[in-house]
Amino acid sequence: MATVALLDGVVDELTAICGPDHVFTGRSAVFNRARVPAPFPVHRWEEHIPSAVVLPTSAEQVSEVVKLANRHGIPVVPRAGATGLTDGAVPLRHGIVVDIKLMNQILELDHENRTVTVGPGINMLKLNEELRKHGYIYPDDPASYPCSLVGGRIGTSGWSLIGARYGHTRDLVISFEMVLPTGEIIRVGDGGGPTVRKSSSGYQLKHLFMGHQGTLGIVTEATLELVKRPEAEFSMFFSYGSYMDAWRATGELARSGVATLAGVVLFDEEKIRYLRRDDEAYIPQPESVKAVIACAAYGNADEVRVGAKRLLRIGKASGGAYLGDEISQGDWASRHDRYATPQHGRTRDGQVALMSWHCEDAAIPYPQLPAVREKWHAIADSLRERFDMFDDWGIFAYTNGAFKPWGDYLTEIDIGIWEMKWDDESWAAWVDAKRELARVSIEHGGSISACHGACRAGEVDLVPTELGGGFEVMKTIKRALDPNNIMNPSKYLLGQAYEEE
Amino acid sequence: MAETTASDQRTNGAQTAGTQETNGAVQALIEEWRDVAYNCFSSGHKFCREVCPVMQVTRDERHTPTAFHANVVAMEKGHLSIEDVAEDYVHCTMCGACELRCPNSLFTGDFYRFRQRTIDVVKAMRALAVQSGVHQKNWKRWAELTNRWGNEPVLGWTKETSANKVRAWAVGLNIPTGGETILFADCEAAFYRPSVPRSVAQLLTAAGVKFGLMNQQWCCGGPMWETGYVDIAHAMAEHNMLDWRKTNTKRIVCLDPHDYITIVENYPALDPNFDEFEIVLAVDLIAEKIREGKLKLTTPVRRTVTYHDPCRLNKRMGVWKAPREILRAIPGLTFVDVDHVTQWSYCSGAGSNLGVEKPELTAEISRRRMAKAGELDGVDTLVSACPWSERPLTEQGEAQGIEVFDIFELVAEAAGFEV
Amino acid sequence: MLGFRLSAEKPPQAHRVTDVVINRFEHVYEVDPALMTEHVHQQAIPNWEFNRIVENRWEHLAWMHDHFAESVLSGEGLLAEVEAEG
Repeated sequence: MATVALLDGVVDELTAICGPDHVFTGRSAVFNRARVPAPFPVHRWEEHIPSAVVLPTSAEQVSEVVKLANRHGIPVVPRAGATGLTDGAVPLRHGIVVDIKLMNQILELDHENRTVTVGPGINMLKLNEELRKHGYIYPDDPASYPCSLVGGRIGTSGWSLIGARYGHTRDLVISFEMVLPTGEIIRVGDGGGPTVRKSSSGYQLKHLFMGHQGTLGIVTEATLELVKRPEAEFSMFFSYGSYMDAWRATGELARSGVATLAGVVLFDEEKIRYLRRDDEAYIPQPESVKAVIACAAYGNADEVRVGAKRLLRIGKASGGAYLGDEISQGDWASRHDRYATPQHGRTRDGQVALMSWHCEDAAIPYPQLPAVREKWHAIADSLRERFDMFDDWGIFAYTNGAFKPWGDYLTEIDIGIWEMKWDDESWAAWVDAKRELARVSIEHGGSISACHGACRAGEVDLVPTELGGGFEVMKTIKRALDPNNIMNPSKYLLGQAYEEE
Repeated sequence: MAETTASDQRTNGAQTAGTQETNGAVQALIEEWRDVAYNCFSSGHKFCREVCPVMQVTRDERHTPTAFHANVVAMEKGHLSIEDVAEDYVHCTMCGACELRCPNSLFTGDFYRFRQRTIDVVKAMRALAVQSGVHQKNWKRWAELTNRWGNEPVLGWTKETSANKVRAWAVGLNIPTGGETILFADCEAAFYRPSVPRSVAQLLTAAGVKFGLMNQQWCCGGPMWETGYVDIAHAMAEHNMLDWRKTNTKRIVCLDPHDYITIVENYPALDPNFDEFEIVLAVDLIAEKIREGKLKLTTPVRRTVTYHDPCRLNKRMGVWKAPREILRAIPGLTFVDVDHVTQWSYCSGAGSNLGVEKPELTAEISRRRMAKAGELDGVDTLVSACPWSERPLTEQGEAQGIEVFDIFELVAEAAGFEV
Repeated sequence: MLGFRLSAEKPPQAHRVTDVVINRFEHVYEVDPALMTEHVHQQAIPNWEFNRIVENRWEHLAWMHDHFAESVLSGEGLLAEVEAEG
């Protein structure tokens, strides 16, 4: 139960780098930086505590900490908002947590190039409160919009609710500064200067350094896209009598070619049944409502208006029933901070139990959605039958492509987990189920993760299967950039990169 | 030097050889708050973080509501002790933004009648610390002097704020003792900013409200509950209720939101007959009198003002319309409003005596609040409706060239009174 | 009444809406209290606070709309136009 001690003198060195007020080793400091919202083995909490926490205030400090870690062979785990739904920020081998929350300044607003340069610790909602004064928005809008931070968005290569219109994190971050695993500070983008959107010079390093879950370094500054603040928002919710009817309509809406379309969301029958438990929008719906589609559009008022009418026509012609403005507007507005709340959980006899939220986040090709849906529910049902601590909260499918919303869908099955009940047996069953969910995604031509990252226990075992030869390239890159295996070691099975051939 | 605590010295876990009484108190806290703690722990989404005035400054996860709940879980699992976490819990103004903004409250708290209760958890943890002998030096001294003098030592450690001086602000106003309605003037207002109670008293009189003052007013007890000195809080509350009954008082008008929320949230549990009292906010009463035409505001106040939503009014009680209605009724005033939802993330930093223990943190929170006011076009004045907020905001306003007034001071001026 | 009176804070009579939902205040749903008797128990929430949460929710949603765009188009209005156009 003891905290994991660092070598003598290391804390003093960290203090010399970051200052006395920004280095912590106390028990509450480390126990409170061990977890994120993803399912967490509470019964094995101390396995995940870091040995020390630093809150640096500059890229130079981050670099010096990383160099120090290399000298002493101490793991480094970057931590931004700690709102991730995979466990990128969870230390697997203790070490130093580099918490970048103090680096949250707006550094430069460039009206000519329409970019804003920020520290990685800034939150999007707070950034947009400032940008609004100038008529801009930075439209990276995950369900954690009011709490996740730009650095974490880059570390996970996040997905945005309105990405079909404005792009996702990778499209909205133009360039960024990185501290590499050996401490060098570089700037990566498409190529060229920090505001260049499209370049063909050399390798496209921006993508390499996105979504690496802290295994390839730490972001210390980012230059972001500035978008004209939308004049108008339009959201519509349509109900359908069956999942298949709604699935067909979803495809039609996504393929409509409406330029202001920001996203289409498909709620399956189990999701509607679940929402009837406690959601004021769904409780009064008649039993005939089996599936729902939500749709949103943003942009100039005249363009949104024309596009909206086209979407409404499709909704109507596909057999859908408009659910009214109150639900359409109210429910949509709640999607910007739509993390599950524990009270949604129910035991098999219907009693409320406080459950944590697992959100599977596969990318699934449109034609495969019905088949994946059936297999996933079967896995969740089997878990619930064996352990009265899991709960099937239904499936969503969101248009996944940037700018072009047809094709594949961010598909999530939400599973409630009563974490107070964890023991080794239930944890092992969960990890097995998690692996099976991921296997279904891959078998249907999808990807384990559209937005959170695929390094959670269970699913991570199948990353080599999903990526094939690409995983060998990942290991080669990891070994080349991080020769001492300092950055978030063991994450993404990358410990394998250092095993004897 | 890096932060070190007593716990760093230990090598063998969090359990210390606490007394039986302390261990019992820890168990009692866990029993009472386990579900609420897991409700936060199981979600872990942290929608509280960017609205928290402390987190906006320190950015240290130990100061998050998430940590405040996770610690309860960690204590249950034997990972942390009260000694490990007591100082973390100082970092809270009890503004209520976190528990309001938490989806567990905002989206499902009413449906389940089960919401996030961060403030209660912080209070419970601070009380456990006091019970376990883990004191914060200045809070302890503050509690001792409050207990000795009857009112908080708002004028400094050596300037007595005794109950027989608590009516000094009313000199010359000829206010009787007791009666059906009394005006409860809190410690900060009564001793440090007497212009506030003087303004309210003159306005009530002008509006035809008959009222008196308490025989002997003691601190409402709120800061004692907030900092963990529960026994002193109970003594204060019981004294005040006894005083009200002695003078057949039925209606208590509070000019300070801290007093109001303390009385409404804490007193009923101490007294089975509490229903005989009605507790009224002065800001509601004055707004009503203006609306009814019983209070005429005719003297123009030539200022460009913005309004600071006091946390206990806005975030904890949902009172934000009445003060805006009042400001819009003042002739000559230019009112540059910032909506009350944006202000969920604003705070003066004064709440729950944060400034007594961490004055630099309160000052920085206030500085940022005043900087927000400074960004507004032409604003020369910030108006608050909470005497506790006005001291740190005034101090920071001086540096930024913005004056700070209490809403009742401005209304009194508009009604033609010398303040 | 302007202020706080303890006896006015008791929740009103409940009416059943579905197997698992009741309501006490107009347009506001609540869980059937019978579902919170084993693993987690309801809190005593006075009316003023209950209504504050409901109001806060709507204020928050309105704020979010305003945060993301200058205006919100009405689907009902546009649907009427679509239907009129045939």
